[in-house]
Amino acid sequence: MGKKSRIIPGFGLSMGVTLSMLALIVLIPLASLVIFTAKLTPSEILEVITRKRVLASFEVTFITALIASLINAVMGVVLAWVLVRYDFPFKRLMDGMIELPFALPTAVAGISLTSLYADTGAVGKIFAKFGIKIAYTRIGITVALVFIGIPFVVRSVQPVLEKLDPLYEEAAGILGANKSQIFRKVILPELSPAIFTGFGLAFGRCLGEYGSVVFIAGNQPFKTEITPLIIMSELQEYDYSSATAIALVMLLAAFVILFLVNLIQIRNSKILGGGH
Amino acid sequence: MNAVSKTKKSLFADTSVSKAPVMSREGSVSIHEETTGSKAVKYLLIGISVLFLFVMLVLPLITVITEAFKKGFGEYFKAISDPDTASAVTLTLKATVIAVLFNTVFGVFAAWAVTKFRFKGKKILVTLIDLPVTVSPIIAGLIYVLTFGRQSTIYPFLEEHGLEVVYAVPGIILATVFVTFPFISREIIPVLEAQGTDEEEAAAMMGADGFTIFRRITFPHIKWALLYGIVLCSARAMGEFGAVSVLSGHLRGKTVTLPLHVEILFGDNKFMPAFAVSSILVLLAVMILIIRSIVEYIGKDRG
Amino acid sequence: MYIELRDINKSYGDFKASDNVNFGIEKGKLVALLGPSGSGKTTILRMIAGLEHPDSGDIIIDGQRVNDIPASKRGIGFVFQSYALFRYMTVFDNIAFGLQVKKADKKAVQERVTELIKLIGLEGFENRYPSQLSGGQRQRVAFARALAPNPQVLLLDEPFAAIDAKVRQELRRWLKEMIRKLGVTSIFVTHDQDEALDVADEIIVTNSGRIEQTGSPLEIYRAPATAFTSSFFGQTSELEDYTRFKFFDRVDNYDKAFVRPEFIKMTKKDEIQKYKNSAAEGIVEDIAFRGNYIEYTVNSNGSTFIAHRALDEEKVEVGEKVDVFIYRLFITVGNEVRLLKNGSIREEMVVI
Repeated sequence: MGKKSRIIPGFGLSMGVTLSMLALIVLIPLASLVIFTAKLTPSEILEVITRKRVLASFEVTFITALIASLINAVMGVVLAWVLVRYDFPFKRLMDGMIELPFALPTAVAGISLTSLYADTGAVGKIFAKFGIKIAYTRIGITVALVFIGIPFVVRSVQPVLEKLDPLYEEAAGILGANKSQIFRKVILPELSPAIFTGFGLAFGRCLGEYGSVVFIAGNQPFKTEITPLIIMSELQEYDYSSATAIALVMLLAAFVILFLVNLIQIRNSKILGGGH
Repeated sequence: MNAVSKTKKSLFADTSVSKAPVMSREGSVSIHEETTGSKAVKYLLIGISVLFLFVMLVLPLITVITEAFKKGFGEYFKAISDPDTASAVTLTLKATVIAVLFNTVFGVFAAWAVTKFRFKGKKILVTLIDLPVTVSPIIAGLIYVLTFGRQSTIYPFLEEHGLEVVYAVPGIILATVFVTFPFISREIIPVLEAQGTDEEEAAAMMGADGFTIFRRITFPHIKWALLYGIVLCSARAMGEFGAVSVLSGHLRGKTVTLPLHVEILFGDNKFMPAFAVSSILVLLAVMILIIRSIVEYIGKDRG
Repeated sequence: MYIELRDINKSYGDFKASDNVNFGIEKGKLVALLGPSGSGKTTILRMIAGLEHPDSGDIIIDGQRVNDIPASKRGIGFVFQSYALFRYMTVFDNIAFGLQVKKADKKAVQERVTELIKLIGLEGFENRYPSQLSGGQRQRVAFARALAPNPQVLLLDEPFAAIDAKVRQELRRWLKEMIRKLGVTSIFVTHDQDEALDVADEIIVTNSGRIEQTGSPLEIYRAPATAFTSSFFGQTSELEDYTRFKFFDRVDNYDKAFVRPEFIKMTKKDEIQKYKNSAAEGIVEDIAFRGNYIEYTVNSNGSTFIAHRALDEEKVEVGEKVDVFIYRLFITVGNEVRLLKNGSIREEMVVI
């Protein structure tokens, strides 16, 4: 597109403002990360990220994030289904509540969940009777991450389910499919790109989550210490090299997830968009 | 990148139930007999949803309030009228207002640039704009420490001019701006994308200048999305913890925001005051949710 | 009668979609439900399929009352207006769906689907997704999908509405031929009279929830039985006061008078017009080229109506005075229709 085709004014101004603000907030800090990383040798990075304590934190972070996101994938579909397909009292309230984890500061969520799920807390007490400790264990971390991840799957599945043309279900019904067949074979394939997208976003968010987790985690090295916390403590000890090395692994994981989510979307638009 | 912006759209897209297909949905019910089994499934699913949301969302809110008032109103007011709390409120407001202003300006210009023109590298630009939300808040803090901290190449320059960023208020503000960076642009971009460029082109051909086009034609389309973005941006800005925590240094009365203040009190085993301060944030969060619902409702009503 | 609807009523709130609907369809026939949009034709189709329930009345298929049988067990094939092909399934899986949900043997499914794909002429497209097909191809897949479980009845909702005008003609013929070949009792809904006249064995005309008339295309076109049908078929124009035209019987209390272009002979002033004495003078107001004929809008005796002339006839200009002779016209009295013939033709016959 040449300049001639730009009938609408303001390209230079809007582009200029956009790029300078982007440079100030995102590009320059990102560049300094790249510059700092360039100073590190691969062996240095490898040494840091293969420390036993760091590896253990990767495991804790990855497993709890995965389980929490899986729970949210299932509950997200259930919630979206209930909100779209059924009518019941206080439905709008329930719908509005879904965004609470976005609106509530993570630190508040963290301390509240901690006191709720501690052995002395209202919910923790019940589980403590069966000898199950929630707070200060990996279960506690998972609970906090479930809290954080609730809106992602619901909010990506809900609009798809709302817009889903009832004709597909009618067509399947006339062809003799029963309700569970319709759900499995017709509705679920329609929802699955949205489910994967929501899952991917929730998973990415959970991997990096800090505020809501640090209080409930107990932060015991090798057991309940998450990777963001390790980065935090390296920073407090002014060990920027170690912090950066570990952060690179986290960033890589985030980008891989984003890439996979994109891949699903591309495949999806290929199926729906035509072309051979 | 297209995919990501699509995702964003659906994430925050209309949430209430659409009214149009109700007639045909009734039709779809009649494909099968309404059995007791399908009713049982309905109530089971509603039951699970209600229980899940009650335990995960409602109980934590109740906990905050009950813990905050555990020792009565007197203690509660003492806790929230503490000078450290007051300074935390001030700093949080300051950071939030600046972040919202900065990101509104950015969001409007970026959305205009991205949706009204075609240029090379647009996808990369959109990816970069969205980048801050995909990065862990701790890493966001880290990159600012690397940029402005002691080991940075520009640190001597900053020191010479007496500019403190890390462990100071500017760092907190920068971190807040960073984590909320795309919040407004990504609400506006899908709206403008759907609207296309026909109207602006028509106005431009009739000789309207850029500002007039924006004010008369573009702005009416985006005002609800903009307001919606501002609400989301405020919510996130006032609650940001991780990135701010890295850059704050936790100097009481100076570089402590409300969430950090909560952390400090909780760490000092001052549980009741911690929850009292939290209750302010809970109140703000609930208000934001209500405003969000209203904006969404009106916005949808007016198209 | 293979399919029968008896005293069917259906309302949506205040809107009466079906008002005491009665009709029967013989086995193996291809029937058109024809009417303007909102006339209740799609509701009738959806009630036969079991997608809607009538408020009262009986639906009988093959001697059995099916009101309480759910759609999934009625054994009906349905082709949706927008086809509703499953977007995430290939052509093969779409066609196989109705067999797979009944847990049919894998080999039998493979055979049946292959047979159908051959029938619709889409060999080699088995692994395509619906989005990768043209409109006509999608319609064929929808047709095959509906036929896969061997339904006794095939219902089609506006089957040609979503197809380009160019391909439509061809597909009409194809579908007609297919249905004949398979002998499956079929009902299709349309608002396009040409489509109904061209494809159907029998036409059921609907209007505001009621059945206006049923009959073969020829019967309905030639002898409309109700005021609605007389105005709906053909390119009808209403005459202001037909008695101003010469030699028509006077009918008191008539409501409306309609003419079709084929009822009218329009000639230039210098052309020979057999019934010049009975013709009225008119002025051409508009001309439209329609391909194989030219359409003239003429005003005469206070009425505006449409007349046709062949391409090889001399052209008439806008504003030109012409002679207009009306052979016959329809008048309606209440819901009744009468065909009036021009008296001058009768006189001549007497003379001969």
